Amino acid sequence: MKHSVAIALGFVAVATRSAADPLRLRADALATTRSPAGLVMLEADGEASSTMSAEAVVWTAADPLPGEHAGDVLVIALRARTKDGRASTRVGRFVEMLGAIRPLQIDGAAGRVKLPQHVTVEAFAGIPVVPGLATGRSWDWAAGGRIGRELGDYGSVGLAMMEQRDAGRLVTEEVGLDAGVAFGKRDDVGAKLAYDLANPAIADAEITARHVHSKEMRFDVYAGYRAASHLLPATSLFTVLGDVPAARGGVRMTWRVAPRLELTGDAGARDSDADFAPAVTARARLALDDRGTSALTGELRRDGASDDAWTGVRGAARIALPCALTASSEVELVIPDHDRTAGGRYRGQVWPWALAALGWDRGPWHAAVAIEASASPEARHRVDALVSLGRTWGVK
Amino acid sequence: MTRRRTLVAAGLLACIAACAGVLGLRREGSRPFPHRAHVLANVACTKCHAQLEQDDGKGLHVPDDATCSSAGCHVKPHDPRPCLGCHATPLALEQLAEARDHLAFDHGRHLPRTKGNCMRCHTGVAEGDDHLRPAMATCFKCHDHDAERDARRCDACHKNLEDGVERPASHLAHDGDWLHEHGTRAASSADLCQTCHQEKFCASCHGVTVAVLPATQHFADPFTPSVHRAGFAARHSLEAKSDPGACQQCHQPERCATCHLARGIAGEGRRSPHPPGWVGLTAADSAHGREARRDPAACASCHGGAGEALCVSCHKVGGVGGNPHPPGFSSRVRMTELPCRMCHTVGR
Repeated sequence: MKHSVAIALGFVAVATRSAADPLRLRADALATTRSPAGLVMLEADGEASSTMSAEAVVWTAADPLPGEHAGDVLVIALRARTKDGRASTRVGRFVEMLGAIRPLQIDGAAGRVKLPQHVTVEAFAGIPVVPGLATGRSWDWAAGGRIGRELGDYGSVGLAMMEQRDAGRLVTEEVGLDAGVAFGKRDDVGAKLAYDLANPAIADAEITARHVHSKEMRFDVYAGYRAASHLLPATSLFTVLGDVPAARGGVRMTWRVAPRLELTGDAGARDSDADFAPAVTARARLALDDRGTSALTGELRRDGASDDAWTGVRGAARIALPCALTASSEVELVIPDHDRTAGGRYRGQVWPWALAALGWDRGPWHAAVAIEASASPEARHRVDALVSLGRTWGVK
Repeated sequence: MTRRRTLVAAGLLACIAACAGVLGLRREGSRPFPHRAHVLANVACTKCHAQLEQDDGKGLHVPDDATCSSAGCHVKPHDPRPCLGCHATPLALEQLAEARDHLAFDHGRHLPRTKGNCMRCHTGVAEGDDHLRPAMATCFKCHDHDAERDARRCDACHKNLEDGVERPASHLAHDGDWLHEHGTRAASSADLCQTCHQEKFCASCHGVTVAVLPATQHFADPFTPSVHRAGFAARHSLEAKSDPGACQQCHQPERCATCHLARGIAGEGRRSPHPPGWVGLTAADSAHGREARRDPAACASCHGGAGEALCVSCHKVGGVGGNPHPPGFSSRVRMTELPCRMCHTVGR
């Protein structure tokens, strides 16, 4: 782990040696009575010039859960681009997002080139990341590309393809289609579709459309289709089952009733294997000042199908106090329709959860303490404490 | 009946009036600066907002008390406190300071082109203090930034964005249910996201080496968006079963088993998590088939890898479970690779 930290900081240091712009460092420590008991995160990012920058985030944990790792690298990436921004590249560990293809964290390289006629070509190749700084992996790789075209000022379309292999065996082979179009200033649509080539069928499809009625009111319509077995590695036996796709759809309205009060209503439904279930959310948020630094929110949810249905109520408050302090509280009450007994174990009829916190944010320092209390299927009652402390440095 | 309705309406009005301050309908303490009244009185903008021609990029050009009382405008102030202490909303002044810190802008170069007509850009100034700063779309009326926009270069106008304080509100609105929509919205323009967000922003949720989720890291801010907010640990099994495949969008299937084993919820000494009637001789007696087809990822979390051998002991041609392939099944996986070779031992 020490090596990782040194590599990460060294990476950034090299990139910023001749920099006039600041190098930014941040350290955060989090301790909780729920494992992992202690966690330290180090972040650094800086710009060597307007065309090159680097970023790193590493963490180490004390007393992790059995089977989990005591430290890892989240991001180490070096970014470079041409002065006109038409070509850019990333090298290191990062999350690659390629159109409709699912995000994938890799150790590798990615590049993007903007060609004439508003055509963009992207490609990546690397080793899919596994937790724990694993070594000795062979023939694990993923590669993909996307070609996209902007449609004037109002939209874009793209076609992406990705293949992933694990020890040489085909894990994922997917093609994705994405599109986003704006119809005037008030309406737009975004859609994506992923098709599984290994076991041919649609794996995932999403569409969302928005209509802005006025400054105060907007409507969203969304629909999705997902075949869960196609999200599994092709090496899994469960991909050969006759899967039952799940579909969902709904409409959402957001209404700013008053300058500081916003109401949101979401009425949707899910269908999976003839289990038709409503998914309804009503939410109100009241800002207590013009900036919304202090605010209250209340939420009511009804979700789940058949014997997995539940009703939930959530309330939260954040109040700014003098001396850069912030008090916050969050309460949730979940009532499952069925107090099922799993493995002869009673799971409870009501699952309450509450958290009270005090935060302090002054200049480069950030600190917070909290008490969390809950009753859940796992524990009849449980009380935990959380403490965090962070500092940011800007180095000229 | 009519009287009752009148009473209800009156009650509602009384409630709204009582809560007007809280709802933001009535601003307490300070009030917006009366720009409209000044314009109607033929007061030129530059009379109060002096020295715009020599914009050094530091000052806000907000008039002080001396400016207000100069030239015989407000010769007898009615209050000893600073004028803008009451005649301007504090938020408006803060927003102006933010704009000054994060925008590369020179009033001096714009004044001659607009012939001193500030309203050409500051179109919302008559409506109050909420829109003192022009929207980005206003800039595009005159400035063609196609090259910068195509190259996703924001630093031609926006500066010091790295601290995350200021984002152009008219640039991209993350309103609505952005948490669930962002994947679809970002699919066709991921490079646009990268103009503001660094790698760690995406990796903090989508990375497989995430140390702690945003909701836990920012536990003191209940408005930090996250799918794992509040008592998610208690309700995650219900959410997972109601929305098959939702967890696999980010997590590997074995994540369930890893966590359950580590926390002692499953594993040695624990009874089977399956209810009675899970496995039977006929489809009517057996619940596991329907559950497996509905959410195969849930099964794979425990029975993946070497555990799959348990399944093929029944689900094979000639076995109790029969052929597991549905009608019309096809696959591009080679017969010599997993999972085919578990049954098709000679590659047939």
